[in-house]
Amino acid sequence: MLTREEESEAEVRREDQENINKFGRLNARLHECREELAVLKKKIEQMDDASTELMMGTGDSVMLNLGNAFFELCEEEATEFCEEEVTRLQQQADKLEEEEEEILQEQKQLKSVLYGRFGKSINLEDS
Amino acid sequence: MSSEKDAVATITGDHDLQALKKEAENTSLKLESITDGVNENGVPKVRFVEDITSFTNSFNPPASAELMIGAYSDLFGKFKTYEGSLAQKKQTFNAKIPEIEKSLKLVKFLKAKQDDDETLTTRYNLADMIFARAEISASGIVHLWLGANVMLEYTYDEAIELLSTKLEKAKKDLEVISENLSFVRNQIITSEVNISRIYNWDVRKKRQERMEADANKE
Repeated sequence: MLTREEESEAEVRREDQENINKFGRLNARLHECREELAVLKKKIEQMDDASTELMMGTGDSVMLNLGNAFFELCEEEATEFCEEEVTRLQQQADKLEEEEEEILQEQKQLKSVLYGRFGKSINLEDS
Repeated sequence: MSSEKDAVATITGDHDLQALKKEAENTSLKLESITDGVNENGVPKVRFVEDITSFTNSFNPPASAELMIGAYSDLFGKFKTYEGSLAQKKQTFNAKIPEIEKSLKLVKFLKAKQDDDETLTTRYNLADMIFARAEISASGIVHLWLGANVMLEYTYDEAIELLSTKLEKAKKDLEVISENLSFVRNQIITSEVNISRIYNWDVRKKRQERMEADANKE
């Protein structure tokens, strides 16, 4: 609880409410981004491991899992497939990382505005 | 969230529950007074209270802080439930979209193989955990499971088109749900802030009244 001196006398205006709402929205989006990014990173790791296994492979046909069935492919085709997947996933991951950066920037700005208005009366930290 | 409940409990402790019920029956404070219409999807929009004193006096009789906080808490509770159900729906969509993407990838792969004109050896799912070997030629036909025990035959191009349209629609629906979810979260934050402000206003008012009463005694 705040002491009498720490209480902020600043009234919450409509634009302050908008800012607070915006901050909350950005926060939710940030968490979603981070989750998606974690999933993508895991997939990329799996693809990388698969490519490594292929490189050390015996040269026989490889089974590729698509949907619910497996297809027999020769090694080069499988390696090609893996590489394309990795490039695609990496692009998505890069986009998400960019979005995460943007969100953090916007949040920093909002934080300085809101802390300036309300000081200790508002808490904008995660957890 | 329990802090709101604690706040309401402390206030209603001072203000008799009977008196509160009586006030609720006689007041002109209604749901319309604290909402500002609805958004495109029919979700009510919380009214932001500019000045609490004039808001209180706009009701006949002037509403007590307890009543206003109660009204906003109710609305808050409803929003929370709605948010929960929206979040669940979003999860379902998030699971459906990768499924459609997988099928689409498969058909595109088959199409690419068709140009090579080779036979493919596959292992297909006979039962959970059991696969059987099959040799297929990329014949240009796939069968798609549409649900409701219905399976239809398509050429590769038709199948790709169908799956792409399905994917587009699923992604659009996901967007609509995400928008609604953001909107509802905004309303939740606004109601929480309104409740806190009314409570603080009430605390300050009581403090002032006490100070004036003490000043008058002297």
